Amino acid sequence: MDRQRRAGLLFVLPAVIYFGGVFLVPLLESVVGSFYRTVPGGVSQFVGTRLYVKVLTDPTFWQAVGNTVSLLVMSVPATVGLALAVALGLHRLRSLKARSAWAAMYFLPFSVSLVAAALVWQWIYDPVYGVLNHALAVLGVPPLKWLQSLELVRPSLAAVNVWARLGFDTMIFLAALQAIPAEYYEAAAIDGAGAWLALRRITLPLLNPQIVMVAILELIFNFKIFDTVYATTQGGPAGASQTVIMLLYDTAFKYFRLGDASVMAVFVFVSLLLVTLLQWRLFRRQVEY
Amino acid sequence: MKPPRLGWLTAALVAAGALCVVFPLFWMAVTSLKTVPEIQRLPLHVFPDRWSNLDNYREVFQRQPFGRFLLNSALVASVAALSSAVVSSLAGYGFAKFRFPGHAVFFFGIVGILMVPFQSVVVPLYLWINRLGLLDTYPGILAPDLVSVFGVFLMRQAIEVVPSDYVDAARIDGASEFGIFWRVILPAVKPAIATLVIVKFMWTWNELFWPLVVVNSPTMKVVTLGLVSFTNMYFIEYNLVTAAAVVSVLPILAVFLAGQKWIVRGVVMSGLKG
Amino acid sequence: MRGARTIAMAAVVAMALAAPSSWAQPKKLVFWTHWEQNPEFNRFYETRGKDFAQKSGYEVQVVTVPYQGYEAKYLAALMGKSGAPDIFMGMTHHWCGQYDFCDKMPADLAKIWDENLPKYIVNVGKWKGVRYGIPIEHGNFQQMYIDTELFKKAGLDPDRPPKMLDDWLAAMKKLTVLDAKGEPTQVGFALRHKGHPVGITDKFLPFAHAFGARMLSPNLEKATTFANSAEMVAALQFYADLVNKHKVASIAFPTPEDAFGQKRAATIFRESWFFGWVKKNAPDVAFKVYALPCGKACPGAGNLFPWTNMVAKNSPHKKAAWDFMRFISNAKDDLDQHQAQGILPVWTANLESAYVKSRPDYQSTQEMLKQPVPPEYYHPKSNELATAFGEAVVAALYGKGQPKPLLDEAAAKMDRILKD
Repeated sequence: MDRQRRAGLLFVLPAVIYFGGVFLVPLLESVVGSFYRTVPGGVSQFVGTRLYVKVLTDPTFWQAVGNTVSLLVMSVPATVGLALAVALGLHRLRSLKARSAWAAMYFLPFSVSLVAAALVWQWIYDPVYGVLNHALAVLGVPPLKWLQSLELVRPSLAAVNVWARLGFDTMIFLAALQAIPAEYYEAAAIDGAGAWLALRRITLPLLNPQIVMVAILELIFNFKIFDTVYATTQGGPAGASQTVIMLLYDTAFKYFRLGDASVMAVFVFVSLLLVTLLQWRLFRRQVEY
Repeated sequence: MKPPRLGWLTAALVAAGALCVVFPLFWMAVTSLKTVPEIQRLPLHVFPDRWSNLDNYREVFQRQPFGRFLLNSALVASVAALSSAVVSSLAGYGFAKFRFPGHAVFFFGIVGILMVPFQSVVVPLYLWINRLGLLDTYPGILAPDLVSVFGVFLMRQAIEVVPSDYVDAARIDGASEFGIFWRVILPAVKPAIATLVIVKFMWTWNELFWPLVVVNSPTMKVVTLGLVSFTNMYFIEYNLVTAAAVVSVLPILAVFLAGQKWIVRGVVMSGLKG
Repeated sequence: MRGARTIAMAAVVAMALAAPSSWAQPKKLVFWTHWEQNPEFNRFYETRGKDFAQKSGYEVQVVTVPYQGYEAKYLAALMGKSGAPDIFMGMTHHWCGQYDFCDKMPADLAKIWDENLPKYIVNVGKWKGVRYGIPIEHGNFQQMYIDTELFKKAGLDPDRPPKMLDDWLAAMKKLTVLDAKGEPTQVGFALRHKGHPVGITDKFLPFAHAFGARMLSPNLEKATTFANSAEMVAALQFYADLVNKHKVASIAFPTPEDAFGQKRAATIFRESWFFGWVKKNAPDVAFKVYALPCGKACPGAGNLFPWTNMVAKNSPHKKAAWDFMRFISNAKDDLDQHQAQGILPVWTANLESAYVKSRPDYQSTQEMLKQPVPPEYYHPKSNELATAFGEAVVAALYGKGQPKPLLDEAAAKMDRILKD
């Protein structure tokens, strides 16, 4: 192997070894565990694919998947879109000081732990003491049940997610925007292109790698959502906010069915892998310089 | 210099959005200054009766060695951030600028780690940490946090943009591969590194589940564990939870504000915008 | 970049120095509990542990684990053998039934406990007739707390509470205040509708038992014809009607404790720790405690989460652990420990002590203990079964279906769980 190839390998080796050791080995153990069942008494029995059949035909499991997808659909486009809009807006601010100040405010939610954020939001959403219903009352709107409503619980949780993640994605977009050379816009202006055209033809395509990365990260993050749900609704009411990971946690630790939980983990992993590959393929475009 | 402006409308929308986003944190801070009867009083009062009411903060520190928790979190988050910065930069460079056998497999393998639900690896991981005798120790708490997948992603993207001519030029000059990394690449991606350090620091600071499983002694607890102790199976003590949350956020804010300057400076001063 | 390197090295050195040393430490028994809300109770083990150390050389170290996530932590630690606690608090039928993590209690100690526990609690800590655990919470059964002020305002006598469910419902109606739009601003009954379905089941069971229903067959092997019996359907209908028909309870209200504390609910069914909570968090609420109203049967003293102390099977200090348990297995320790926290002691002898007689729930506790013991569900899969059942209850409360089909579905699901 020539010097460059060897160097490249050596550069990535620390990370590869770390991830392999810390995550891959436990992951494999967990996958192997999906073929075993723990009987009362604690012994593990090999059961082949029986647990796969059991989990994948369980309506509760698919309800959890449905809830998760519904949350995803509500959170991911909103987060990516809003982050883009905010980054574009921040980018246009003349004063660097103002930009830093407002950008910092958007980033602030990221500094709070998800559990703390969830608890504060739960208090804000409280039907009686919550400030949201208080504000609605001022506007003459009757109070809503938010996290205690079958219809509103998922949108309410999605809103918390968007809130928590917005600043992070905004920062990524902002950094990327600032790296776009001004000459491109000047050239476009000379050609007579307006602001919208510049956005579509220059900004968005150049931002494409970041948009794809952010969309993938948001998808993965929202699919794995756990802390916010666990700290607030615990999957309720009536299972309306039970996500796949919440069900996985309960199955593993409250129902003591580690094998079933491992099946769910494999499902999560494979689904995310497929969706990510799809996103990567479909949306990643070569940018012409 | 910049794309055409929409002027004050943009500024107003951005500002309004920022205020909406900050509101829950404001609410959190304000609740931490209220007594329990105040919190549950109707009609709702936004502001606390006494702005100088620090009883909740006092109780937070009295009930738990919260100061120690802050130190533990600071130590763990710092080490995690630094190690992530180093290893992710190395890996990012390798993936961005080199072709070697296993390139795609390794990269997607690392990205794949993100897709693994942590709840499903926690027991096997714990058993390994146990076998190594690292339970209830700093290395034990750090184990899953030393490198960040997001970091590898971010650094790879940041380094990709660095023109390969610079690297080639340095090679022609006879620089070692690591020397190129150290002297050409790293200075060019300072903003990305600063971003990674800040993000990783914050992320590790706010972690709950792993420390919960691996920490036993009160002296080894981190800030999130301290916070969660004000909730139990019966009820949530909002006055104390919010106070603890505010105490946990302040150090992060300091890190963020300090780091932000670095990012901004890095962008303005780097001549590599093209 | 040199600065960063120095910092990193300093951090490593600091870590090495700060890592707890595992040599030169006195012998100790590690005791895990997730009862965060009872710090005085937990501290008692350490205090007595110091006395115990004088004769045995073993101190007791109490580790309080957050309730949120405790199952994962316990499982990982008990599987790992080293790093596991010597003594831990949890439910016997989980850790000794589903898993094999518990050590059997020495016969002499088991005898002491069997002889000194009230009848409703004798089975707590046993699995398949063998005793592994010591029950620590006696007052873990619900009783009726009433807000005397609200009762008087509604023209009801707070000293003569309703004893039967029909009278109780009539009282609830009088205690409910509706606003102009027909929505309750004050409800008669503070209902639990939020959170994990297991908790929902826990709060519904007194009603189920009052209607003469039970969730599982007596041998805990079947759910169908029990969880969906005619009595259970009637019970769930009654429960759901509280919200949907009579509006004496509301799913739009905050947690039941807060509702009661804020005088927006006149009655709540809660366990014996509740009056301590009210005294601390809602001191201006005047209340009295009574036995739960009866229907066909009386709900009796029952609970779904019987907490016990168990000794880990793989603990290298097993013998010392049991010696410590023996050391505190007497009426005085039982009384002292529970009194320190303000909860009900476990020993029968202590139920007539001055401390218990001074509690507001003394009379009601006596009354409920005289009632027949309600059905018990100490099964390794109790969490999963109670979740499946609870989902039916919540669905009924939210008007997502009729009790009969919901319970039929839940019963079928519970049977699948049992058979698995």
